[in-house]
Amino acid sequence: MNRRKIDVTFSTFLILVSLIILFNDNLVEGGVETELGSMFLPRLVAVCIMIFSATIGIQSIVKLHRGTKLESEEKIDTTGFLGIALYLTIFVLYWLAVPYVGFLAATPFAMLGIAFLLGCQSWVTMVVISVITPLVVNYGCSNYLRVFLPNGSLF
Amino acid sequence: MIENIVGGFSSILAVGPITGIIVGIIVGIIFGAIPGISCIMAIAIILPLTFYVDPIVGIPMLLAVYKAGIYGGSISAILINTPGAAAAFLTAQDGFSLTKAGKSGKALSMALYASVTGEMLSTLVLIFVAAPISLISIKAGPIERVFLLIFAFTVIGSLSSESIPRGLLSCVLGMLFALVGMSPITGASRFTFGFTELLGGFTFTPMLIGILVMPEVIKALRQRNTPHQNLTLTKSSNPADNRISWKEYRSVFGTIIKSSGIGTFIGSLPGLGSSPAAFLAYGEAKRSSPNPEEFGKGSIRGIAAAESANNAVCGASLIPMLTLSIPGDDVAALMMGAFLIQGITPGPTIFYEHTHVIYTIFAGYFITDFFLLFIARIGFKFWTKVASVPKYYIFPCVTIFAFAGSFTANQDINDVLVLIIFSVLGYGMRLVGLNPAAFIIGFILTPFFEANLDQAIAIVGGNYLLFFSNPFSWIFTALTVLSVYSSMRQRKKAAAMKESVLIKVTES
Repeated sequence: MNRRKIDVTFSTFLILVSLIILFNDNLVEGGVETELGSMFLPRLVAVCIMIFSATIGIQSIVKLHRGTKLESEEKIDTTGFLGIALYLTIFVLYWLAVPYVGFLAATPFAMLGIAFLLGCQSWVTMVVISVITPLVVNYGCSNYLRVFLPNGSLF
Repeated sequence: MIENIVGGFSSILAVGPITGIIVGIIVGIIFGAIPGISCIMAIAIILPLTFYVDPIVGIPMLLAVYKAGIYGGSISAILINTPGAAAAFLTAQDGFSLTKAGKSGKALSMALYASVTGEMLSTLVLIFVAAPISLISIKAGPIERVFLLIFAFTVIGSLSSESIPRGLLSCVLGMLFALVGMSPITGASRFTFGFTELLGGFTFTPMLIGILVMPEVIKALRQRNTPHQNLTLTKSSNPADNRISWKEYRSVFGTIIKSSGIGTFIGSLPGLGSSPAAFLAYGEAKRSSPNPEEFGKGSIRGIAAAESANNAVCGASLIPMLTLSIPGDDVAALMMGAFLIQGITPGPTIFYEHTHVIYTIFAGYFITDFFLLFIARIGFKFWTKVASVPKYYIFPCVTIFAFAGSFTANQDINDVLVLIIFSVLGYGMRLVGLNPAAFIIGFILTPFFEANLDQAIAIVGGNYLLFFSNPFSWIFTALTVLSVYSSMRQRKKAAAMKESVLIKVTES
């Protein structure tokens, strides 16, 4: 994938966001009056974002226009993106499941799913690890950190 | 000062802090030695554990992870030619050549002794230099601090990324995310879009783990088809090949001292990090060596130079953080987060407000080197075995630790969502060439910047010329411009060099 095209899109997006920050007064609510004001720094940051994004975007447009050869860091290799999507899906499902089924019940499945994605070969060891790890983490959190991981509302 | 140092040593020599240091060293070596996992990942994962312990236990533990992790990186570099970090690239060159010759014990020992010597010297500099610098920096008022922070943002942004605009953009994006939530000055809610959960801003720990740790897991997932490489310790039948003799150590001691000096100097400058230190020291050692042709082909002097400089950065990188509140790199940013979570604001006042804590931490930092030397030395074989654990066992555990670490910050499941969002953002930033460290530093420093800017505006009133009535303002403005200019020049030089090399390659 050509990173220059991404640069142009990303810069345009950031410039639009910055314009919204600069001209929309509804982004801040309440607060007391001060010399500086609540939106001074956000607007200053927005101006900086616009300047740097524009610099990156213009450089990329010029390079695209001239058709200069892509440098190594400008080529984005898309191999393995499916794995990333699957990993994030597992993570989101895990996040959604934990409040209902609890940390101890949901974690082994999440761990096995990730191990499968990583090409696990010895499943017996992995099953043992995926059962022991949440038990250890749960025990450590509740006994030493006084943090109680979700037990789940279904059981 | 001497009294404080002695007091620090007496406090650190207790069961709790020593256990913390030992645990930190073991975790650091393991994480540092596993290819593809950096010590930053280890620090970020261990960070939530330190919320619930005393700062004199938690912070030395994190610092032990840092020091041991940097050393651990040299194990995989030497044994399988896979540097865990860019700074260990040169160690890999000479170390792997020695491994191929059956002298991995010699290479690992040299790396260990050089690392420990470099770290010790830099820690001594930290202990004796930080407090006097803080005496000067404590005199800075809000106006000077505003200029100092502008300098910090610029120098970190302009030096830490592949291009100046990308580095600076990373930094200002971090600043933008820090502005979400209730303003600490006016009490106004900014960018919350009606979500009350956002009033407190983004929780630091999940954001940090998401930006710095999870992209490494994602990267490993993308490279899941790369075959796993086992680390093996080659042993020679000649015992002299498996260790470093006193004579050999003495022969490279001058190089270690010089390289540690370079590492300490570079480390004390914000934004540079350990790679330039290692490259500079290696170049200098090669230039002044009687046998420069041996460099890259198994030179113990080369390993000594790269490792001592690389590790000397550890102690020195805390100098700008503790004296000026400027975290020089991503690890220092993490450490700053750890201090803030413990209710200690790093900066010049730390030496007066938390004298006991800071000198205990210094003492812990110093004695970590002795424990590292001992623990690493007795377990070369063990570390090699542990570091060979396949990724499909490690990364599911890392994911679960990240989940638990994010949850423990506020005992809020929404923080896990913050972790997921920032994981995607962190990986995306790497893809488009933005720098996560600059982002984190921008995020951390923005509340200080806003508070100081507000005070400065209140001081000057309507007369904005007062901003430039102080020599500090001029000095920091000049330094800001100079840092951008020198960074531009350096990049131009590097590009020209790259082009000339390419031309030479094409011609040949």
